[in-house]
Amino acid sequence: MNWIKQQISKELWSPYVAGILLGIVGILAVWLSNSLLGASGAFENIAGMIGKAVAPAAFNNTYFNYVMPPGITWGVILLVGVFFGGMLGAATSKTLKWGKKDAANSDSQWKRIFGKQTWKRWVLGFFGAILLEYAAGIAGGCTSGLAISGGMLLVPAAFLFIAGMFASGILTALIVYRKRY
Amino acid sequence: MNYVISGFLGLFFGFALNKAGLTKYNKIVNQFRFTDMAVLKFMMTALVVAMIGLYGLRGLGLVKFPAVPSTYIVGNLIGGLIFGIGMALTGY
Repeated sequence: MNWIKQQISKELWSPYVAGILLGIVGILAVWLSNSLLGASGAFENIAGMIGKAVAPAAFNNTYFNYVMPPGITWGVILLVGVFFGGMLGAATSKTLKWGKKDAANSDSQWKRIFGKQTWKRWVLGFFGAILLEYAAGIAGGCTSGLAISGGMLLVPAAFLFIAGMFASGILTALIVYRKRY
Repeated sequence: MNYVISGFLGLFFGFALNKAGLTKYNKIVNQFRFTDMAVLKFMMTALVVAMIGLYGLRGLGLVKFPAVPSTYIVGNLIGGLIFGIGMALTGY
């Protein structure tokens, strides 16, 4: 029992152990509710809901009517769970920095590369996230929804996506880090 | 009922991501610099475990696969390419 407590309060697990946990979650998602894990789709569901309420004409298109129908879907609830799960993980290892001054930008490597200001992190996070969500919309899923969920069903799309993701990810890191790469 | 399952699975999903360190910028970007292989180890372990489990369960006739993400080569590739830029910048 003590050993379990000790393991749970560790900040970092071996990625293999965490990976096994995610694998089991992936199996259970298909087994228990015939759904796939995913994150980006849920944001589109929520965006569709807001859009339909604010500007129904602009959102009355094929994409939001049929491809990604708005509503509180299985994925939206999953996303809420992910949020609290991540928080729980941080709380158990006492790395949850609630309201601390640099809690929004506490990554020392990020500060070394981009500077200390927190607003820079927010701006980069905002525009980077637009890229992420847009790309996930084109590809039909994100890292969890397409790469992991698709990969475990051996869907070719997943492996194409992973290839593309790594190709441009490596290139972007190379440009950002240049000599420090 | 389905929503309760979903919430619980999400909880474990988030927990696993946090414990693997994938909620941190440096873990994600260092994967692309090949100085920290945690992302690949995590993803590939999850994939292998889930593949074995799912195909095993399907072999036993216990599960039916849901509609799989569709493959359209250009879209998947271009999406992946743009996604990689965002991922390396934000550390999502």
